[in-house]
Amino acid sequence: MMLSEQSIARMKEVVTKYPSRKSAVLPALTIAYRQIGHLDDDIYNEISEAIEIPAVEVAEAATFYTMFPKQPRGKYLIQVCHNISCALLGADGLITYLEQKLGIVKGETTPDNLFTLISVECLGSCATAPMMQINNDYYENLTRESVDRILKELTEQAQAEDEA
Amino acid sequence: MADAVENKKNIAEGVPTVTLTIDGRETTVPKGTTVLMAARGLGIHIPTFCWHPKLKPMGSCRMCYVEIEKMPKLQVSCALEAMDGMVVLTDSDLVKRGRRAIIEFILMNHPLDCPTCDKGGECDLQDQTFAHGVDDSRFDFQKYRFTEGTEGSTFDDLRIGPEIVLNRNRCILCYKCVRANKEAFGEYDLGAYERGNIMEIHRAPGRQVDNPFSGNLVEICPVGALTNTDWRYKIRVWLTQTTSSICPFSSSGVNTLLYKDDHQQKIFRTTSRPNDDIDDGWLADVTRYGYQIATSPDRLQTPLIKKDGQQVPATWKEALEIINKRLNEIKDKKGRVCIGGIVSPSLDNATLHSFSKLIRVTLGSNNIDYRTQYRMLPKEPENVYDAMSARSFKISDIDDSDVIVAFGSDLVKEHPNEYLRIRKACNFHSASVYSVNPYRVKSADVARREMIYKVGTEEVFLNGLCLAAIEAGMAEGGDLKEKISPSTAAEAAAICGVDAEHLKELAAAMANGRKVTFIAGELVSRSRERLCISSALANLTRLLGLENKGQVSILPHYANSFGAGKLGLLPQPPEGIRNALTELWGAWPEAEPLTTDGMLINMKKEEVNGCIALGCNPVMLYPDREFARESLEKLDFLLVADLYETETTGLADVVLPLASWAEYDGRYINLEGRVQRANRALKPRFESKPGYEIVEAIAEQIGDKLYESSDQCEQEISRLVESSNVQPLPDKYFDVRPAEEESDEEYPIALFVGDDPHHSGHLTEKANSLFNFCGEAYIEMSSELAKKLDLKEGDSARVESKVGKIIVPVRISTTINNDVVFIPRNFSSTTVTALLMRKKRTDRVKISKVVN
Ligand code: SF4
Ligand code: FES
Ligand code: FES
Repeated sequence: MMLSEQSIARMKEVVTKYPSRKSAVLPALTIAYRQIGHLDDDIYNEISEAIEIPAVEVAEAATFYTMFPKQPRGKYLIQVCHNISCALLGADGLITYLEQKLGIVKGETTPDNLFTLISVECLGSCATAPMMQINNDYYENLTRESVDRILKELTEQAQAEDEA
Repeated sequence: MADAVENKKNIAEGVPTVTLTIDGRETTVPKGTTVLMAARGLGIHIPTFCWHPKLKPMGSCRMCYVEIEKMPKLQVSCALEAMDGMVVLTDSDLVKRGRRAIIEFILMNHPLDCPTCDKGGECDLQDQTFAHGVDDSRFDFQKYRFTEGTEGSTFDDLRIGPEIVLNRNRCILCYKCVRANKEAFGEYDLGAYERGNIMEIHRAPGRQVDNPFSGNLVEICPVGALTNTDWRYKIRVWLTQTTSSICPFSSSGVNTLLYKDDHQQKIFRTTSRPNDDIDDGWLADVTRYGYQIATSPDRLQTPLIKKDGQQVPATWKEALEIINKRLNEIKDKKGRVCIGGIVSPSLDNATLHSFSKLIRVTLGSNNIDYRTQYRMLPKEPENVYDAMSARSFKISDIDDSDVIVAFGSDLVKEHPNEYLRIRKACNFHSASVYSVNPYRVKSADVARREMIYKVGTEEVFLNGLCLAAIEAGMAEGGDLKEKISPSTAAEAAAICGVDAEHLKELAAAMANGRKVTFIAGELVSRSRERLCISSALANLTRLLGLENKGQVSILPHYANSFGAGKLGLLPQPPEGIRNALTELWGAWPEAEPLTTDGMLINMKKEEVNGCIALGCNPVMLYPDREFARESLEKLDFLLVADLYETETTGLADVVLPLASWAEYDGRYINLEGRVQRANRALKPRFESKPGYEIVEAIAEQIGDKLYESSDQCEQEISRLVESSNVQPLPDKYFDVRPAEEESDEEYPIALFVGDDPHHSGHLTEKANSLFNFCGEAYIEMSSELAKKLDLKEGDSARVESKVGKIIVPVRISTTINNDVVFIPRNFSSTTVTALLMRKKRTDRVKISKVVN
């Protein structure tokens, strides 16, 4: 069992809010990936049991949406925008810099499981390009220096959390 | 124009219609008809990929484009409702260009591997590319390739089920497979994942595509993305010939087409031969793959005769001489009739009728029965039961029934095609389905309400329905209340362990329904108390006037059960049939009639000394294995004809090789009373012979000629089939006093025995594909019960009854309740009938874990 009792309870509650069970699939997937960090076949089966929807329907919905992660990810998901405005202001170089700094290539996770790096389409923050999103936060007008600082802060934050 | 007139004629009175013009021709169709169907009515063909006549339209392929006046863009005709005054063009330049573009897009990532693809020659994509596509492609980049999971196998093939292979690169994403699976079959083992270029069809997470309808997915796939292992790489479709046949495994009489090669004398596959009155073009896997019982190399090759305790091969001549000699010896020794005949109701009319004549006329015996799998049949004729199981019933009348009750029937296992009909009635007409069973069944997934009654309380439940209707003033009961017990619906509900409100709800649904279909199944016909249950059902039918507004039937189970009844293969056939036979034959045997059960008892007492068993295997299937075996062992002479060596042939003095249904022309009567033909596809294999030839040869050897002319048999049969109509129900209520149900502390768990969803009877385990789906017996139980017994999926369980013990692996099921288990009876390696007792109504067992 990967889903926590809490998650299952929340899923069961969500189901009651919709006229059809099937509508609860997306919220249930969200609950699952917030808890676990990613989704996979075993988790689809667990969700299926919790909300009583065939696992295949859960898996179909999950795979349709690319923003549900299907592989384990680091604590921090770095999504660098590579679309036009950011690209004009050096997104490519920024991505290479991040790759060097983290010692991974795009799509990979650092061995300490802290950072996963991917590049994405426009995040709607063109005015502050180049930019990236880490988990739920935007980091804008990026320079190498600010990237250094952000990564350092996040690493320290993670260490502090670990110790606590 | 003629088509348009046809169309008009088919429109029922009062149905609103629309009139439109298609390619310059006017047509009037019922409102709600799609443009595609309106065009088909005119004989205008519009190409399609994703449309399927029995599924809701999806509009995903766009191949069915048409141009419609005043609409700026091309429209998909399969999903567009015809409107008054529409002017439709199906073949304009714009339409042609549209189609061409669609084909070009579909081919974008298609591998074009037709030379190695099994669909080649019957592929919609191939045909339509030739008809509507271009020769060239403008896409000059690398095609997208699926490779994940296919390491080591060629052509990107991926096995997704025991019999199904998927090639995602060929898939054109029409979704027909996934839609049929979910919508028409209610199965969730296949899905469509991701999107865009990388979108793929695949099995459900952690599952195999092994549902009992899975073969249909292959048949409806328009390309070679789904293929099945029986047909793959064996032969090209244009090298085969086809023969029309029917399914020999169930009473629906599903229509099939056998693909064979005359030179090799081999059948390669079975497909549907859609008949909307019966099957809607869907085949259960047992129908689709069951042909392999004909082609298996294990078939009996020659007659066998017992010499010094050993069965050795013999010629037909030797075998027939011995049969004649031994039957005469028995007759002389005893100086009276002491021969019995038992026969499989899966055999054709000519075989059944000839067998009946052999036993009754040539041998002068009344001991004849086709019901070899039922326990404790009463000596007296079962008038009510016979009447209730041969009502006038139409499969297609399920479609527009608004209330459907499935009572005492594990439908998917017993009547898969009727289950699909019921699904259809739900999907398209929102029918209310009530599933009433002693345990939870898969078919209840469409039920508005599922009711589980206590094991062995069928007649109480039916009485309860009558009482609920009377109490609520829905029907005038007359003297019914005095004839049945208990006396109130509430009491009945309590005895059955169902909610009294639910009982009332069902009674009201049936009383108020516009058109009611009431189906009773094997849990009724196999019950020791079936007479009592059918009386209760007759009462209910009369009380609510169900036959005035619908249909009620205890569905017969085997391919020709209905025929066997009509032809009188019973110890005491209904009077009409008996009279017709007496008239035909000029005589009726004097001898005391015995049922299968009676015969077995008398064999044991050595009062029946000879037996002819045609196509049946009582040692495996009679619900008391040891009793059947001991009885048959006492015989002086046992003659068995079958396709294979079975446990019953093992006891025989003479064994004869029987031809399969695919090897002769035969007629069968389905559960509606419809006579259908299965044509000969192959020569009888090895030295086997059709049943009627065997029977005639025996009669001749004894010195009797069954028929004077070649068509006499047919004539006699048609007389019988015509003469016996549906028996009217008597104009009175029956006494139905339920017996107290025995319970047994030591054996607490009720055992149900039936067919595995991929099997039927004792022969299908010889079909390779079906064996691959399921090759051994198992015990199905709820996860709670398993937990209580400390058992897990796959563990070995010891199952014991008072008379026997077997060891079977555990299967956890989500659709079975806690005090009940199910074991299939189709596997000779573990015969579950060893646990059954002929006198019991309910079989009870105890279960423990096998520790090694
Ligand atoms: S596998 Fe066949 S039926 Fe299924 S979506 Fe692909 S092409 Fe259609
Ligand atoms: S292009 Fe980067 S945020 Fe819009
Ligand atoms: S057949 Fe109409 S869209 Fe596919």
